[in-house]
Amino acid sequence: MNRRKLGQCAAAFGLAALLAVAGCGRDSGGSGDSAQPVGGGKASGDITVWAMGTEGEKLSVLADDFMKENPDAKVKVTPVPWDGAHDKIATAIAGKQTPDVSMIGTTWMGEFAKTGGLDPTPAEVAKKDDFFPGAWDTTVVNSTSYGVPWYVETRLFYVNKDVATKAGVTTPPKTWDEFKAAVKAFKEKGGATWGVSLQPGGTGSWQTVMPFVWQSGGEVLSGSAFALDSPQATDAYAYYKSFFTEGLAPKDLPQGALEPDFVKGKIGAFVSGPWHIGILKDQGGAGKYDLWHMPGKASATSFVGGSDLAVFKDAKNREGAWKFVQYLSRPEVQVKWYQTVADLPAVTKGWDDASLKGDPQLSAFGDQLKDAKAPPAIPTWEQVAAGFDAEIEKLAKTPQSAQDTAKAIQQKAGSIGTGA
Amino acid sequence: MTAIAAAKPPKRRRGLRRAATAWSFVLPFAAMIAVFVAGPVLASLAMSFTDIRSADVRDPLGVDLVGFANYAKLFSDELFGRAVGNTAIVVLAGVPLTLALGLAAAIGVNSGLTRFRSVFRVGYYLPVVTSIVAVAVVWRFLLQPESGLVNSLLRLAGIDGPNWLASTTLALPSIIAMIVWRGLGFQMIIFLAGLQAIPRELYEAAKVDGAGPWRQFLHVTLPSLRPTLLFASVVGMIGLLFVFEEPFVMTRGGPLDATTTVSFQIYSQFGFGNYGYAAAMSYALFLAVVLLSILQFRLLRSDDER
Amino acid sequence: MAVTVLAPSPPATQPATAPRKAKRGKDRVASIALHTVLIAGLLVMISPFLWTLLSAFKPDREIRTVPPTWWPQHPTLDNFRELFERLDFPLYFTNSALVALAVTAGNLLICSATAYALAKLPFPGRRALFAIVVGNVMVPVMVTFVPTFVLVSRLGLVNTYAGLILPNIALAVNVFLIRQYMLSLPDELLESARIDGAGEWRIFWRIVLPLCRPVLATVGILTFLGSWNNFLWPLVVATTEDHYTLPVALALYSVGQNQTQYGLLLAGSVVIITPIVVVFFLLQRHFVQGIATTGMKS
Repeated sequence: MNRRKLGQCAAAFGLAALLAVAGCGRDSGGSGDSAQPVGGGKASGDITVWAMGTEGEKLSVLADDFMKENPDAKVKVTPVPWDGAHDKIATAIAGKQTPDVSMIGTTWMGEFAKTGGLDPTPAEVAKKDDFFPGAWDTTVVNSTSYGVPWYVETRLFYVNKDVATKAGVTTPPKTWDEFKAAVKAFKEKGGATWGVSLQPGGTGSWQTVMPFVWQSGGEVLSGSAFALDSPQATDAYAYYKSFFTEGLAPKDLPQGALEPDFVKGKIGAFVSGPWHIGILKDQGGAGKYDLWHMPGKASATSFVGGSDLAVFKDAKNREGAWKFVQYLSRPEVQVKWYQTVADLPAVTKGWDDASLKGDPQLSAFGDQLKDAKAPPAIPTWEQVAAGFDAEIEKLAKTPQSAQDTAKAIQQKAGSIGTGA
Repeated sequence: MTAIAAAKPPKRRRGLRRAATAWSFVLPFAAMIAVFVAGPVLASLAMSFTDIRSADVRDPLGVDLVGFANYAKLFSDELFGRAVGNTAIVVLAGVPLTLALGLAAAIGVNSGLTRFRSVFRVGYYLPVVTSIVAVAVVWRFLLQPESGLVNSLLRLAGIDGPNWLASTTLALPSIIAMIVWRGLGFQMIIFLAGLQAIPRELYEAAKVDGAGPWRQFLHVTLPSLRPTLLFASVVGMIGLLFVFEEPFVMTRGGPLDATTTVSFQIYSQFGFGNYGYAAAMSYALFLAVVLLSILQFRLLRSDDER
Repeated sequence: MAVTVLAPSPPATQPATAPRKAKRGKDRVASIALHTVLIAGLLVMISPFLWTLLSAFKPDREIRTVPPTWWPQHPTLDNFRELFERLDFPLYFTNSALVALAVTAGNLLICSATAYALAKLPFPGRRALFAIVVGNVMVPVMVTFVPTFVLVSRLGLVNTYAGLILPNIALAVNVFLIRQYMLSLPDELLESARIDGAGEWRIFWRIVLPLCRPVLATVGILTFLGSWNNFLWPLVVATTEDHYTLPVALALYSVGQNQTQYGLLLAGSVVIITPIVVVFFLLQRHFVQGIATTGMKS
């Protein structure tokens, strides 16, 4: 065994030496990526598309319409499971086995754009102003847009009507103080055990905390450095922590307890996106709640997520791919898509349609979308977010102060870097 | 014998032919390893000496060599240190427990007193095979603070049970219990194969000497199972050093990193795209496995030689 | 419990009936005790599987209730119906079966042959090869994932059955397991066959393999299980649906970006686990077959 280990070590060093000799090493110069134009006319040839989940299943509906308009084109949709989709796209890029177009989660854009595997968005295909600003920003890496927002989601407060009425809260609070007072009233007068359920750290809690940072006027980046310990951010952490220290939010809600407890009135409010409409309906909660816009300080900002569409550099049919993406961004197609799978349009004009405008719950989301942000599309965001989540967990569950949390988050983020 | 030896071809040719025959057995495997394993292993090892990230996959040679920097970073990585500690606890507690319970189950199922042997065999192996998602749901129910089975039973005894999975001190033992429960079926299968190899005559002889079931176990079963035990404990240890699914699905490594393991950290780092660092972590783990296995072999075998 | 005085050891010619009767009583109590313990253990062991099976027939809402219900309160076939409607089940099942069977058969052949040489045939390079085998077992699987995919794509095997099967067709851990078992095979048996003029391959097929049924059954099950449940590799290798295996296809509809459809997930789990249980039942009786030559001790 010893001889073999030695042999392996030798091989490894040999390989490394080879790499060194082969002139491996990073390019010091950054290569700017400029968008190449796309020709006019109809699309032709095979266009391979990857899409996850229900979108993957139902995209053929829109693909058929596209193919009627472009008879020489053949759109082939391969549905991909969400579970593992990130790995699948990453390895496909590594092995140069990508399709022409893929749906990509908004938080993955930074990482995939950095690989150089995505094609910059041509100006003819999409204009920034057609989309919700927060959504468009998810496609922008180093001032270049790599793809187009497809559908969006944002977060609102779901509030139990009975609890609110009993608590005497009649209008949605507009400021932080009003919000805190309302939540207190939920607990003291509204009969709820917990005024509000806020995620106490853990995976994805940044999506609940960052809105407060943005509301406070803070940002993730200031220039090219992290600003997660700014006074505004620290204020937000302190505000968030106060819900836990004042006994208004639970530190350890067992999995699966949220919806039943909310419907029963044990929990006064919680934060989530449009998918909870369906879940609450399933649990007998339809009509029992109101949707509240985010409260505000400097602004009343929420988180915007969803998915973008991107074309790959290794695409075999670049022209066809972008034409398909352009098609999917038409307002009327976005509306049809909403009617097919209930995905909210990323294109603002799509919201003029009666099916969205007429629905009060959806209009609430549409309203919030005008003031919703996403973290900057930096390649290291997932790792920074994990560090963020870990510190927020300490903020919520231990005596760690807001200042210490801010310092820790900033330090972690700094050591990870923005990956630029 | 000499007559036969004289009829055989000269020694050198015999040796060559034997070697060729042996290699004919080994060739398919060696070929597969050479094609599908050697390259990726060497490539990933090389990765660990660079600062390669997921952003570099289209141009893997365009990365910087950093020597042992990734490995050195492991020592200052607090989270990794925590993971190492947790993994060590899992192994030290989990290996003896899975071995003991797996052996007990194998003996019970194998003994001449049971009927429905196949049902037991399948049943005890089922957790190994059941989807982790389903296992997680059931275990979460068991451990729920208010309505869970464990705390309900404790309440009958007058004890107020804690919130198992949310406690920084109790989460890891709870997960270990789940891992042991899930893994003992696998050990049971290994021991069943080993028990089959013990000739019945040995037991008969022991019975004639007046040995009861316990002494038969000590003096016939255990010694005969020694190679199986060694093997099962090495395989069990390797499995536990790589533990990932249970903490991932149950607690995501929490609360407050109380249940994170080395494999979980490796998965995390690959997820973040830090391929170079993750590769270094993987090979550090590999080194640990090799050293611990050697240690185990030395400890358990030297007993044998005596 | 009959506690008759045991007759003194009877002479070999006389059947010992009196002591046997007393022993039977003791046996029965021990048997009942053992059965109780084993059955209690069994119930604990199969509870998640049972819950999965029962819950696959519940609507999503009931699956999410806390505390969980056991027997379905609103039994429904909807989950299965939806699964089979949306899923091209025969296609994915065939793919999974094809790949799993090929991988299992390949492993059984290649790894047992290798194990035999490593266990019983001295040859130059044997120690080195064994070290490689053991070393390979100890490398964490995750680290070679991306390089293996890049290799497979360079070989042009992406989205092919070969790409799904070949990287897994000769697993070092199986060589390790089988060799361990083969070490205990008596050398005299093999020697006498050689003296009788049998070639090594003939010895391997006719004598060694039949003796190895327990370990081959074990390896067969473990390999089949691993291949059948493998999710990440087929996910990444298959670029069009027609090469998806069952776990990949089942994940398509059950896990969403922000929520999980538990009904479909559990129905999928039942669908996936059933062939495994069948295969296990079929193979597990081979665990019982001891080495036929128990009379011969080395």
